[in-house]
Amino acid sequence: MTTETAEVTRTADYATSHSSPTAELWRRLRRKRLAMIALMVIAVIYGGGLFASVVAPYSYTEQNLDRGLEGPSADHWLGTDRLGRDMLSRILYSSRTNLVVTATVLVSGSLVLGNGLGLLSGYRGGLIDDLIMRIGDIFASVPGLPMLILINATLSPRVLEFTRWVEDHTFISGLVSSGAASYLTVFAALSLFSWVGTARIIRAQVLQLRERDFITAAQATGATPFRIMWRHLLPNVSNLVILQVSATMGAIAGSEIFLSWFGVGVQPPAASFGQMLFEGSGARTFQSNPHLLLVPAFFVTALMFAFNLFGDAFNDAVRGR
Amino acid sequence: MGGQNRVLAILLGVLAVLVLAVGGLSAILLASGSGDDDGGSSGGVTTSSGGGEVDTSPASGRIRLASGDPITLDPHIAGDALSAEYIVEIYSGLMTIDPDLNIVPDLAASFEVSDDGTQYTFVLRDDAFFHTGRRVTAEDVKYSIERASSREVASPVALAYLGDIVGVRDHFFGLADDVPGVEVIDERTVRFTLDAPKPYFLAKMTYPTSFVVDREQIEANPRNWTRKPNGTGPYELQEWRLGERIVLRANERYYGGVPKVAEVLYELAGGSALTRFENDELDVAPITVNDVDRARDPSSDLAPLYTVSPQFTISYIAFNTNVPPFDDVNVRKAFGLAIDRGKIAEVTFNNMLLPATGILPPQLPGFTPEDKTYEFDPDAARAALEASTYGSADALPSIVITEVGGGAEGRIDTQAFLEQWRDVLGVSVEIRQTDFATFLADQDAGRLQMFNAGWIMDYPDPEDILDLKFHSESALNDVAYSNAEVDDLLDKARVERDPEARIQDYQQAERLIVQDAAWLPLYFSQAHVVVNPAVKGWFEPPMVIPRLRFVEVDR
Amino acid sequence: MAAYVVRRLLWLPVTLLIVTFLTFVIARFGPGDPVSIAAGQFRDPEVLAQVRAERGLDGSLLEQYVRWLGGAVRGDFGESFLQQGFTVNELIFPKMWVSAQLGFMALVVVFTLGIPLGLLAARLNGTWIDPFIISALLFLQAIPVLVIIPPILWLFALQFDLMPVGGWGGLIDIWWIGGVIAIPIPDPHLYIPLLSMSLGGFAGVARLVRITALEIQTEDYIRTARAKGLPESTVQLKHVLPNSLLPVVTVVGFALVGILEGAFFTETLLGIPGIGRFTFEAVVSRDYDVIMAITSILASVFVLMNLAVELTYGWIDPRIRLGEARS
Repeated sequence: MTTETAEVTRTADYATSHSSPTAELWRRLRRKRLAMIALMVIAVIYGGGLFASVVAPYSYTEQNLDRGLEGPSADHWLGTDRLGRDMLSRILYSSRTNLVVTATVLVSGSLVLGNGLGLLSGYRGGLIDDLIMRIGDIFASVPGLPMLILINATLSPRVLEFTRWVEDHTFISGLVSSGAASYLTVFAALSLFSWVGTARIIRAQVLQLRERDFITAAQATGATPFRIMWRHLLPNVSNLVILQVSATMGAIAGSEIFLSWFGVGVQPPAASFGQMLFEGSGARTFQSNPHLLLVPAFFVTALMFAFNLFGDAFNDAVRGR
Repeated sequence: MGGQNRVLAILLGVLAVLVLAVGGLSAILLASGSGDDDGGSSGGVTTSSGGGEVDTSPASGRIRLASGDPITLDPHIAGDALSAEYIVEIYSGLMTIDPDLNIVPDLAASFEVSDDGTQYTFVLRDDAFFHTGRRVTAEDVKYSIERASSREVASPVALAYLGDIVGVRDHFFGLADDVPGVEVIDERTVRFTLDAPKPYFLAKMTYPTSFVVDREQIEANPRNWTRKPNGTGPYELQEWRLGERIVLRANERYYGGVPKVAEVLYELAGGSALTRFENDELDVAPITVNDVDRARDPSSDLAPLYTVSPQFTISYIAFNTNVPPFDDVNVRKAFGLAIDRGKIAEVTFNNMLLPATGILPPQLPGFTPEDKTYEFDPDAARAALEASTYGSADALPSIVITEVGGGAEGRIDTQAFLEQWRDVLGVSVEIRQTDFATFLADQDAGRLQMFNAGWIMDYPDPEDILDLKFHSESALNDVAYSNAEVDDLLDKARVERDPEARIQDYQQAERLIVQDAAWLPLYFSQAHVVVNPAVKGWFEPPMVIPRLRFVEVDR
Repeated sequence: MAAYVVRRLLWLPVTLLIVTFLTFVIARFGPGDPVSIAAGQFRDPEVLAQVRAERGLDGSLLEQYVRWLGGAVRGDFGESFLQQGFTVNELIFPKMWVSAQLGFMALVVVFTLGIPLGLLAARLNGTWIDPFIISALLFLQAIPVLVIIPPILWLFALQFDLMPVGGWGGLIDIWWIGGVIAIPIPDPHLYIPLLSMSLGGFAGVARLVRITALEIQTEDYIRTARAKGLPESTVQLKHVLPNSLLPVVTVVGFALVGILEGAFFTETLLGIPGIGRFTFEAVVSRDYDVIMAITSILASVFVLMNLAVELTYGWIDPRIRLGEARS
């Protein structure tokens, strides 16, 4: 990772060139057809999720016990599951679950926590830097997956209990039944473990930038530290930020799938890719009803593949290739 | 390199993966067969040489089963069915349950009950020995009961099984050094005194908590003695490799006659048991919902080997009768009338479970075949909801059903019930899945509104479910059910000494409980297995009982 | 440099202390405990309280943590509830050993196939084969372990009966020819887990090797070697290959973490008695001592591995000065 940072540092100078760095990046990216195809795949899958309530032919709970485990047909394009629920509709709603979790974790964990702490740590240095980086060391040394499962097993009931209490004592309602509360726990846990990498890379970049003239000049004019970080430092690390986002997005989307496979995360009958994969996994189930696995597997693989390709192309674009 | 080339390359890449997979597969197919067989047979020779050494005894052959690691082999601590499975073969107690589910003397040659029903005097067999050859004495029995109920052993099940014996409670809480309710009369005679006449006491004595252990061994090796326990049962633990295998070997001194099978191998590693059965690596394998169609198909090779037997296990939905809206009997009734268990058992479990007809499962004393539960009837369900104090679905508070599991073990039938409650009653219920530890904590605290659970019978007596789960004063009554009439019947049955009258009391209580809909009985479990034809006399008892010594292997 | 390493090593116990304390608190914060699970159907609150007291679960959290720590520093991680009568050490080390063997084998497979593929792609840079190899590997990386195992099992174990469905038989099996000649072969139980665990790893290794090899091609010493008239194969073998391999060393750590997480699912689906499945069971049943032992051992391994990776960076690329970021 450090070698990548070093390379990015070398190419980051164009940030101070005349055309906007983001526009330049986009121009380069648009030339890569593979990246565009990948982006389209992501857009289609997530778009389907975003508009699931409009696009989906059925509700994700609607069951027809007489038509369980059917293969694809005119009524059900991708077949039905054991309870006769439409697989296509459940795929769309699973995609929504994944989109919500991925987007929220990105924003809360990688973007806000990662960048904020990285900027702060790099710019302020000293004790704050030490503190943030040492806390980062601790999170980085915790075995991630077991810890996520542990946190969800022990904290999630407490969060639900608390949310229920809030619902009972205020006019707020629907937090628990909409699944918002169960998402919350997954986010919080995933965010805790996903900020460290981003913060380290941003910090390394900021350490070099803060000695530059334009920062010294800004300091001389009496700009507040917050303003310097927001107006001067952030734009200069923005490509790095986008690069980090594109690299972690696939990993976070994947984590949601793994976690819900273990039964951590959204509660049924809400749909998620992990649960759908679980229902279809098992060699014997695959033998008797292959569509239970193949349908979610196709969408999950397509999504992950698109993330991989896009991240790869993006990496090239940022490095000016 | 242009963009088009990349796109083309990637499509080719995907194609290549598929081609390679298929190509590799056919290559392996061509090259396989012989090599694999060689590896397999050499493994077979080395492992079976161990079994060949016991030729001198009437016990012979080996059966291979799939199972898991027991939580403990200490009979006094074990409270789970998996541990009990091994323990009942390695140890024994004063009483046992025979394959016809009769409660019969085991280490005891005979017993007498005093006229008031509070004193049980057991005379031990004189041909009962530990595996090491030491004769079992009355002192061993007393030591075992005292150890099981001691504060140090801290057995979570001691009071449940031994709590009726005078002095056990005090001993458990550290208030007394011994158990006065167990007296050694002479070397072969031991007397138990109970706090009240309890007809189900003998049934409880069949459970591992009262099994006899070897004091000398435990005192010599208090930490690790369960690695090679010295029991009195028909089998001896020969080898236990965690997560790999357990090997039991026939105890040739066993007082009930030498077991017919010399060696029992339990494979603990997991993986699909049926596949290994079909590869002739296992002699018995459970059938899962994915294979049951094949096993039922008369033309399949599994069909003649396939058996189904009832289990003393019921699954149910419980309503906490303390918590709205289930404090209203009409709401509970409406929920029961709105679900079609038969249909759901058919769709989700492929008819591997029996829709429950009441609370007492088939073969249990007191079972009656007629359906006592509420049958699926949407109109009656809506009528019941209207008759409730709430009047309509909109007036109901929010409802959460809790169950154990997650995506990994989620119960698909609950999702089907949810949809039926929505369709029929217009009520939306939310599912909350928790892990087992959380579930138990919430259940014990009475925090659950409505939950999915099951009960496995520990001894073949209706008391083990009706009294424990529905008596208003029972610590295990987690639905806060209270019905004075039911309490009276249960109290009466507890001490009723005429078996006929006692069963009738329980049947009447069962009917009342089902009508009050404190539980919605869902299904009775069934064991579905295939058995290698070389194994004779294999049976799947409805609960854990010693069975290996009745099995024979012919190959 | 030495000072830096010493400082990092001194920091290790502090990190471990915080990590273990956090885990301890989080594990016990949840509702439920192993005693109620061990009690099974009979859960009399009075009895459970007594059992908790006897098993040392009734004191304050801090008191319990200190007691645990006291044992842990002496290497005694307590006793399991899930598997009574065994110490945690007896339970987890054999399982970790199984996982480690499996992980190591997967690593070997990933590198022995990933490196040549990467070199090949670099060698054929400019032709369609280069992006073809890389995209094929990226596609394999995109298939989650969860998805790939059931079809593999179905195909190889159920349909064609070539490999065992699951379980564990160690690393080596003996293949007898005519009952006389013994040839050691990888145990058949290994094929399916190795296949499923390594598929996703090739892409990372191959891409890194490819990029490094491409950069090296343009370096002066390679040009010099070519100018001297050395045959191309010698240039590749003597100069490009060894220098392309160096950076690969640095990703061993990351690859291992990825493989370990994949192993979690592989072990669960294939019934391999490794640490992955056991960890999940321990968490679900609140087997506190097991959870604590696994967390602290894995955390130590991670910290040491990170340090090792950092040191390797410094060793390979002296431009990266250790501790530079801290000054």
